[in-house]
Amino acid sequence: MKTKLYILITILICIIVIVMGIGIGSVYVTPEATINIIMNKLFSTPLLEEVQESAVSIVWNLRIPRTLLAFIVGGALAVSGTVMQSVLKNPLASSYTLGVSSGASVGAGIVIITGISLPFFKMFTLPLFGLIFGLMTVFLAVSFTAKLDKNMSNNTIILVGMVFSLFINAILTLMSALGREHIQQLIFWQMGSFSSREWSSVAILFPIVIIGLIVLIRYSRELDLLTFGEDQAYTVGVEINKIKWILLGLSAALTGSAISFVGVIGFIDLIAPHVVRRFFGSSHRIVIPMSVLLGGAFMVLCDLIARTIISPSELPVGAVTALVGAPFFAYVYFSKRKVR
Amino acid sequence: MLELKNVNTGYDGKDVIQDISFTLNDGQNLCIIGPNGCGKTTLIKAIAGLLPIEGQIIIDNKDMRKMKRREIAGKIAVMSQLSNIFFSYTVYETVLLGRYLHMKGAFKGPSSYDKNCVDKCLKAVGLLKHKDRQINTLSGGQLQRVYLARTLAQEPSIILLDEPTNHLDLRYQAELIDYLKEWSSKDGNSIVGVLHDINLALKLADNFLVLDKGYIKSYGSASKAVTNDLINSVYGMDVVGFMIDSLRKWERIANF
Repeated sequence: MKTKLYILITILICIIVIVMGIGIGSVYVTPEATINIIMNKLFSTPLLEEVQESAVSIVWNLRIPRTLLAFIVGGALAVSGTVMQSVLKNPLASSYTLGVSSGASVGAGIVIITGISLPFFKMFTLPLFGLIFGLMTVFLAVSFTAKLDKNMSNNTIILVGMVFSLFINAILTLMSALGREHIQQLIFWQMGSFSSREWSSVAILFPIVIIGLIVLIRYSRELDLLTFGEDQAYTVGVEINKIKWILLGLSAALTGSAISFVGVIGFIDLIAPHVVRRFFGSSHRIVIPMSVLLGGAFMVLCDLIARTIISPSELPVGAVTALVGAPFFAYVYFSKRKVR
Repeated sequence: MLELKNVNTGYDGKDVIQDISFTLNDGQNLCIIGPNGCGKTTLIKAIAGLLPIEGQIIIDNKDMRKMKRREIAGKIAVMSQLSNIFFSYTVYETVLLGRYLHMKGAFKGPSSYDKNCVDKCLKAVGLLKHKDRQINTLSGGQLQRVYLARTLAQEPSIILLDEPTNHLDLRYQAELIDYLKEWSSKDGNSIVGVLHDINLALKLADNFLVLDKGYIKSYGSASKAVTNDLINSVYGMDVVGFMIDSLRKWERIANF
């Protein structure tokens, strides 16, 4: 009963935050006007008299794709962090543990410095390179772990992931030093931003996240068992190595896809799973979808702060996630612990 | 039936147990005893399939190496030792995980049979009224019983136990052994356990395997395998004398 109430509250929070994300900005659009514009675009219902054409364009072409993209990216990062923490049985693990962000940054760096644009992908060349390099890093890290340690123990995975991250970061530093004129662009990409994102980004990322989410929910029992340790999961019948490959790969793919569109945004993948577990328990059948919702809502809120607090300029959303998230996380995590 | 043929295994390429062979028929219980470091836990891990082995482990006439993980888990369950809990679950959720093999459909919830089975196992270990409690709020003994319930929920024919009475008080130790004895008396079930307390081992087991420095020192029924001289030489002390001395002290206290 309590869980159902919390789910309802979470859904309400998501709706409120999304409407706020769409409505608030340099031009304020009321919630009624926002809903009216959405209904008009989706079901051709008549527009209210007071709704101006410019407001329709702002809401439909700028704010909605940006807000939805923030929600999807936040959800993808949060669920990815949840999976990493459970598979690696480490509350401090995140979706970046295996070097996906470092790899994606190198991929983005190559495109930014060389200025290449693939014929078919054009503006999506950077996300494509980011995704490929991010996934490649994780693939190499996990393959190397499998070679070193047949049992693929968590400590080996984390250590190899860290070594790979440091190595790839060194390559990125070298690239930055060699292409100094692009250094500012590269740094901004690494800080993450949702500005100027269009419907096309949403259309690509949305199905990826939905498919990833469905597959992860399918493996929720295995994730539950893995949190008790590999030996326990193995003796209950889980094919540990196969499942680990699938879950780590999927988690890396979700993070890689998300950050390749918007740049590296940290912290959400670490805090969202912990906040969700505090309120909903640890069962992954609930934790996975709730991580998506809370991670998504938190990202929309952070993006709203990032683009309005020093308007008309924007702050990097990655800085806001940490500035807002750290105290909030400390409050939720430690206040609940005190009660116990 | 469980059969081990010339099994060697260990860690990092170094054998801890060597040339282990025995046969355990359906319905029989086996206790592995021996001093610390003799390889008891390693043997349990090898039977559970957690360590690569040389030699053969045969379960119901099938070589374990040719069996899929799920097939093995359908026959052998391991009662886990206590470990750190990183993410807490309710008692009910924890025991339900033992139904992993039997639950149909990855997106479906537990069937009414699964739910009844979990309730039955929780009742058997005396924790039904605690089913909604978080496991990180339980005592070591209660958690031990939760893990036993999860092992029973797996519905195996062989249960492997590694020092299962470690965190239990005397009453629960006796209750646990009684319950396991009763469980193994049905449907040809068997238990292979490591027990430090020889009194409890005598209560539970039909057969004993005495390990010393990784080798089998003796194997067979209590009267055959656990002789006074052998036990004393394996543990390096007068085991029976120690126990009798303790009992005499108790007798004096009781008659005071």
